[in-house]
Amino acid sequence: MTQTAEAAEAEAAEPEQPPVDERVKERSKFHQALIRPELGGIAGTILVFFFFFLTARDSGMFSPSGVLNWSIVSAQFIIIAVGACLLMIAGEFDLSVGSMIGFAGMSIALLSVSLGWPVWLAIIVTFILCMGVGALNGWLVIKTGLPSFIVTLAFLFILRGLTIFAAITTTNKTIVGGIRDVAEGDWLAPIFGGKIFTGFFQWMGDAGWIETFERGTRKGQPVVEGIPMLIVWALVLVIFGHWLLTKTKFGNWIFASGGDARSADYVGVPVNRVKILMFMFTAFCACVFATAQVMEFGSAGADRGLLKEFEAIISVVIGGALLTGGYGSVIGAALGAIIFGVVQQGLFFAGVESSLFRVFLGVILLLAVILNTYIRRMITGEK
Amino acid sequence: MAEPIIDMRNIEKHFGSVIALAGVSVDVIPGECHCLLGDNGAGKSTFIKTMSGVHKPSAGEIFFEGKPMNFDSPRDSIDAGIATVYQDLAMIPLMSVARNFFMGNEPTRKIAGISFFDHQKANDVTMAEMKKMGINLRSPDQAVGTLSGGERQTVAIARAVHFGAKVLILDEPTSALGVRQTANVLATVDKVRSQGIGVVLITHNVRHAMAVGDRFTVLDRGKTLGTANRGEITPEELQDLMAGGQKLATLEGSLGGTV
Amino acid sequence: MKKIKLLAAAALSVAIAVPLAMMSTSAVAAGERYILVSHAPDSDSWWNTIKNGITLAGKQMGVKVEYRNPPTGDLADMARIIEQATASRPNGIITTLADFDVLSGPIRNAVDQGINVIIMNSGTPEQTRKVGALMFVGQPEYDAGYAAGLRAKGDGIKSFVCVNHVISNAVVAERCRGFADGLGIKLGNSMLDSGQDPSEIKNRVLAYLSANPKTDAILTLGPTSADPTLLALKENGLAGDIYFGTFDLGDNIVKGIKSGIIQWGIDQQPFLQAYLPVVVLTNYDRYGVLPGNNINSGPGFVTKDGLTLVEKYAGEYR
Repeated sequence: MTQTAEAAEAEAAEPEQPPVDERVKERSKFHQALIRPELGGIAGTILVFFFFFLTARDSGMFSPSGVLNWSIVSAQFIIIAVGACLLMIAGEFDLSVGSMIGFAGMSIALLSVSLGWPVWLAIIVTFILCMGVGALNGWLVIKTGLPSFIVTLAFLFILRGLTIFAAITTTNKTIVGGIRDVAEGDWLAPIFGGKIFTGFFQWMGDAGWIETFERGTRKGQPVVEGIPMLIVWALVLVIFGHWLLTKTKFGNWIFASGGDARSADYVGVPVNRVKILMFMFTAFCACVFATAQVMEFGSAGADRGLLKEFEAIISVVIGGALLTGGYGSVIGAALGAIIFGVVQQGLFFAGVESSLFRVFLGVILLLAVILNTYIRRMITGEK
Repeated sequence: MAEPIIDMRNIEKHFGSVIALAGVSVDVIPGECHCLLGDNGAGKSTFIKTMSGVHKPSAGEIFFEGKPMNFDSPRDSIDAGIATVYQDLAMIPLMSVARNFFMGNEPTRKIAGISFFDHQKANDVTMAEMKKMGINLRSPDQAVGTLSGGERQTVAIARAVHFGAKVLILDEPTSALGVRQTANVLATVDKVRSQGIGVVLITHNVRHAMAVGDRFTVLDRGKTLGTANRGEITPEELQDLMAGGQKLATLEGSLGGTV
Repeated sequence: MKKIKLLAAAALSVAIAVPLAMMSTSAVAAGERYILVSHAPDSDSWWNTIKNGITLAGKQMGVKVEYRNPPTGDLADMARIIEQATASRPNGIITTLADFDVLSGPIRNAVDQGINVIIMNSGTPEQTRKVGALMFVGQPEYDAGYAAGLRAKGDGIKSFVCVNHVISNAVVAERCRGFADGLGIKLGNSMLDSGQDPSEIKNRVLAYLSANPKTDAILTLGPTSADPTLLALKENGLAGDIYFGTFDLGDNIVKGIKSGIIQWGIDQQPFLQAYLPVVVLTNYDRYGVLPGNNINSGPGFVTKDGLTLVEKYAGEYR
């Protein structure tokens, strides 16, 4: 109502209708809906599934355990990609994500196994430590004005080195196991390492709809016991990230901070606060990844998470975000992570020589970036 | 004559041993367009940065709505109602017009206790405000990067007006624009002025100044060469003042009066 | 215009996808299919012998064999590969057991789904029993290190440095521990974390030897650390002077043994670790026959004597 009233008022004050620029081509509603940052990711996902459906249909890739396998790998990528995506849109990078994963895992293991702390306390303290390091990263970037690339590169080494040092000096080993035993009965551990809908899957197994174990102590139990919490975390983080970015005031600040920090600062956006918070959120995501991994495998290794920072950045870029900041989409990053995970696991299913994995990855990255660049230019009018 | 909304008296600004402003006095009345002219290095930029709170004056007084005022940061002057539109620092090209329009002043709406960015309101207000300024947006989601330079200036002006600016400072809004876009921006200035906002227009193009200006102040080497009302001065006289006296007359003669 | 570009992109991806797809369809042949999963990153050249071993066995037995590894050597990724190999329903899986905590779950799952598993290379006979695998084919690492330590003790060695290029692999580190116990000394600070990069390894060895000039012996754990160590010794003039033993063989190691720089190489005979499981699994699937015990593929000491065959096939089958 007010809208039409306002429009009428505007017309009354301004009788001559502003001329429509004849050089701007009218686009159909469908076309407009199609041209969005996620388009590259959507197209890529369809293409990748189509490809593997043709080549690996009979290989078990689309059986329940096969689906679970590439879903878990994709979920892992999604968890770190969401953090990297928001940070990249805010105009910064974090290269210390991989080392942070190793660091967080080792921290939980050492605190709980070597020092004998309750697992829930070890997890909470580790989260605080990691987010503290994230905040330190952000504070250094802002105070020194150095590119985040350099500052976080330093932390890539610092954290990895500290992880190995702490493991060797306290346990003489680089792999610390036994977490599964101490996590028994803990209230917080299942939130990262547990599975949900187990009853439903057992019921499906009993009904003969999904595969069950043929022998051993778990005969009759379904091979896929339930949905791992890793996947739940991935979904929750994607929904939260997407909501934060597109539906809140803070999301607008993230875009503005990455688009042009000076312009944003000038109109009163707290750019420094936004950036530091995004560094902390990235660290939080890395810590979720690490905790889920440690709880699942029951051990922490000093070399866990190697090169994961690049896998996160690659997922985000496949998903259509701009490396220089100010543009991107969480949904896109999640789709990028799915493409990454499905390709990585799917190539094994398709029986392709494993050394070709990197070739494939490179080709997909290149195609995605080319496609995304065209889409972005169409949207933003960049030259 | 109405009370000036902002009155800057004998402003001096020294950067070390360099005297950038040596006692400049300018006042702005609501609803007028006050043009600030001068050649490069005359001190125009320093002067408006003093007005918008970026620089603190070394000496002199600022009265805002009759009261003495001290700006410590750009934020203070924005809060007081002084909005500055810089030529290249106004908009973020990757973001949509609506997101740019409300950047830093996002409207929110609560659903179940959680604050949401009110896209509906942002879009409606943006469309309406842009229409008032004579720009037909294809959609409020359109990225600013797809707009022309003149349209971007207009969005920035509309934003300043919408958020209650009493004084609008435009820093060389027309220097990088083509003829038609310049005309559009100047028309926008005229609309803003008619809403009772004091406009300070910085330019070194006399014809643009003559098109919309009510008063003209010429700066040269950090000093005011004087303020003239519309109709009291010819473009040629302004041009000569800007060039620092009569020197240009001979040059103009040799170029056939085309400058 | 945009449509043309999209079409071009699609065409390009199809052009790449089709040959890969053809390769994969030809890969799914009739007959038994076995997958070997290793923990080695792409950069570890030693595993080439393993690849050749399973390929040869596959050809001789008429079965399909595949080699899989985590590209960065991350053991958590390796666990996913085993799960994934299981989901593709092969007749058998041959895998290393580099970290019991991480890998026992996925291996157990494979066994419980009716897939035969043989553990090779890393792991212990006890762990093999625990995960329900058929057998272990490999070299008991601690025992091999202990034997080497006894040998070195006989040669009058009192101190050593162990150049470890896979610090994260707990099983491989047992070699150093066994060596120290064989010598009858404490491991202490003798284990050097060298990393995987050749020039880094070389410089760390140089630095260690100049900081600890009284070191009697060097023990390297494979070609990855032995090759740069050879270069380091040539550079600081200790080649031939310092006692040098190594695990595993490779081109340069064989040359080093021949020229007297390296006293001995411990051959765990990786060829057998790859070749035998394929043969064992195939015969078990076809005729139900299975050897009654674990198979020790090593240790075999390779010295200057009798290098001919080793030299001929080093890096390929030896």
